Amino acid sequence: MGRSRHLLIAAGLSAAVLSTGAALTYYEGSLPTTLNPLYAAKMVDYRAQELVFDRLWYHSPINNELESKLVASWEMTDGGKGIKLELVSGIKWHGGEPFTADDVCFTVKAMLDPGTPSPIAEAYRDILAGCTVEGRSTAVVHFTRFVHNPRERLGFAVLPEGAFEGNTAISPDLEFSARPSGTGPMKGSRGTRGVTFQSFANAQHNPQIAQMQLQESGDPLLGIKALINNSVQGIIEVAPNFRADVSSSDELALKSYDLRSWWFVAINTKKAPLDDRRVRQALNFMLDRTELREKSIGVKPGERNSPCEFISGPFVPSSPYYNRSVPAVERSDLAQAEALLKEAGMEKVGGRWQFKGQPISLRMGMEKSLDNEAPDILSYISNQFEAAGIGSQVYKIPPDNWTTEAITGHLTDYDLLVGKWSFGQVEDVNELYYTRSRGKGTRNIFNYSDPEVDRLLAQYDAAKIDTAARDAYHKLHAKLAEDLPYLFLWKLDTKSAWRNEVKSNTIAPYFYFTQFDAWRYEG
Amino acid sequence: MKRWWAQPLVRAVVALALPFAVPAIITLLIWALPGSPADNICRGATGCDALAARWNLDQGMVHFYLAWMGDALRGDLGRSWSAVQGVGIRELLAPAVPVTVMLISLSVLPLFLGAALAGLGWIPRRFDPIFQAVGLVPAMVPALVVYAVITLAMGAVAADGSESLLLKLFAGALILGTTDGALSGAITGTRSVFDNERKQQYVLVAQLRGEGVLSNTLPNVAGALAGQLRARILHLLSGAVIVEAVLRIDGLGDFLWRATLHQDFGLLLAAATGFALVSGVILLLQASLEVLVAWHQRRAPQVPVAVGA
Repeated sequence: MGRSRHLLIAAGLSAAVLSTGAALTYYEGSLPTTLNPLYAAKMVDYRAQELVFDRLWYHSPINNELESKLVASWEMTDGGKGIKLELVSGIKWHGGEPFTADDVCFTVKAMLDPGTPSPIAEAYRDILAGCTVEGRSTAVVHFTRFVHNPRERLGFAVLPEGAFEGNTAISPDLEFSARPSGTGPMKGSRGTRGVTFQSFANAQHNPQIAQMQLQESGDPLLGIKALINNSVQGIIEVAPNFRADVSSSDELALKSYDLRSWWFVAINTKKAPLDDRRVRQALNFMLDRTELREKSIGVKPGERNSPCEFISGPFVPSSPYYNRSVPAVERSDLAQAEALLKEAGMEKVGGRWQFKGQPISLRMGMEKSLDNEAPDILSYISNQFEAAGIGSQVYKIPPDNWTTEAITGHLTDYDLLVGKWSFGQVEDVNELYYTRSRGKGTRNIFNYSDPEVDRLLAQYDAAKIDTAARDAYHKLHAKLAEDLPYLFLWKLDTKSAWRNEVKSNTIAPYFYFTQFDAWRYEG
Repeated sequence: MKRWWAQPLVRAVVALALPFAVPAIITLLIWALPGSPADNICRGATGCDALAARWNLDQGMVHFYLAWMGDALRGDLGRSWSAVQGVGIRELLAPAVPVTVMLISLSVLPLFLGAALAGLGWIPRRFDPIFQAVGLVPAMVPALVVYAVITLAMGAVAADGSESLLLKLFAGALILGTTDGALSGAITGTRSVFDNERKQQYVLVAQLRGEGVLSNTLPNVAGALAGQLRARILHLLSGAVIVEAVLRIDGLGDFLWRATLHQDFGLLLAAATGFALVSGVILLLQASLEVLVAWHQRRAPQVPVAVGA
């Protein structure tokens, strides 16, 4: 009797495990810094947090429509300066407490609290004015001004008021950063060597994978070998030189991951001779982007569905803000570059361009980690300039210095900086190009300033309908393609690799795990 | 013999001072870095002042040191700021200390063995070049190879699994105990101590009396050997940082490395203090041994020496 009871219990437990799926492990390039959405800094943070939290609104990776798992209905109030949210009922936090309007308003208040030193919260302070609870499941979020895309602006993850005991000043070193409570499909817990995710069935989520582990991959070759050996089941970013190994395996699938990022070469427009637009345009014509992406990223000539698409302005080609009437420069045109440099008063002596009698030599930098996605890209760019008669010295900048010095406009001793920008829900490029003053232009790398550009950015800010915003950004795109504070390179997708046992694994742009409920693991 | 207590006393004082001195030196180094410590951590974020105040970085290094030391003495080490953000430092380091102690203890075994065999004269000198050649290998190289093998064999388990921890500890101990000149130093060092001692007159007299050499020399060389062993353990402790970081062993050394990398000052001070405590304990053990040896020598009958012989 006792033995058969134990067998029944064992069978029941096995069935329970099988019905909820098995554990799987995937590799990231590094571990998340934090699981607190207010302090996400790297893509790995955003991806991990997407499993644990629900954002108020998100873009469906299937049809790109704005959807919400938390909001049942909504309406604009206060003449368009507020939005009333009716929340879905029955949702619980991972700790078991009910999700209510108090949590939504707490999150807004936490972001507005100056005691919350979060760059993400800071970005919302320009647009959010406050929040009012109008019932257990009704909240009204107030904006500082009329915005043409209110739901897109509410793409933040909601935090549980109870976890902070109502204290809206949220510091990054709270236990919540390691063991958060969200409403997402998985409950996450940060360990010293990885993050463990446990499924959490909720009113709006029914994950099929019971347990998942995020680990740091270390050496990329070892990562690929471990994937082939089925020691891990997925790798989020596969370096270009290992993609052939993955493609050649019948047990693995190489999947495209749209990071919604575009690459650029920022130009120091404050330094001579780069302060002359004609010189910048000449540099633009010196670059042979087709050759660059072929050599560095391995895109073959004429390759269809290339992960690397050329761009002519500061948006990805799939964006509604991308101005398709502005052509991208794909090949170099040295004759045109030469004509422009001569027009700008440069002289070519012994194959080298000179400015005021001195050979031109540019100091070029690049964020070091970009080398993983586009190996040796800095050297290839430098070689092309050299071949065209412009000298250069190249430097790789550690990611931390990039964040603290390049983005904040302190690397002004450089002439050119190669980088990339990634955008999640809102493609707001204002901070990149606004003249840096009074809290604006916080990501203006070389402190570029142009009154016409400022006017167009203000026009986007003031837009009341999508068309007006689109119109402003189309004009901005054309203006920047002409004035060239950046040489726009390309939009570059990356590739993930997953074992075939992982099914229905739709990869959402940028946030990756948005459709995680459908993922299955038959390992 | 008159002041036999002086050296053990100095060691005991140093052992007690180390846990206070090491964090003080690190605090000095933190403030010696370019830029203010608060700016280095906040990276220009708004609200940096509030964070600086929260982390006691806003009123200079003396305030920071005293605040940290006060909290530490009360058992509050705070939370990790960046390396493992949000996790309590005590929670991180409590299991890390036994891991590092175990790694060091295991890596001392080859040294003990080598030293004992060398002391007994059972390792011929002609093998020295082999040990010296092995000793030239930096610990980093075999550690990387072992990590690659473990990862390929165990995959995801290699990073987090407890079953891989034992394997990594044994492999790490073997690496620490043999590379970077550890084993060759133990063999040649011990041998030279005994060789010198064997030349002493009392040993010759003892031999003429038919007494064993080892039983006569050991009490006299014990102090020197203990000093050598302490130096070797300190050497192993510094090597443990590399081995733990490469093999991903959650020990004190790995946290010290990660804290430095992420400028996690709270974790850095705590991990360094952990090392200081371990060093302090070793110093106290050495001091105790010296006291024991002195006590033994005072009890031992004096050997008459023939003057003018």
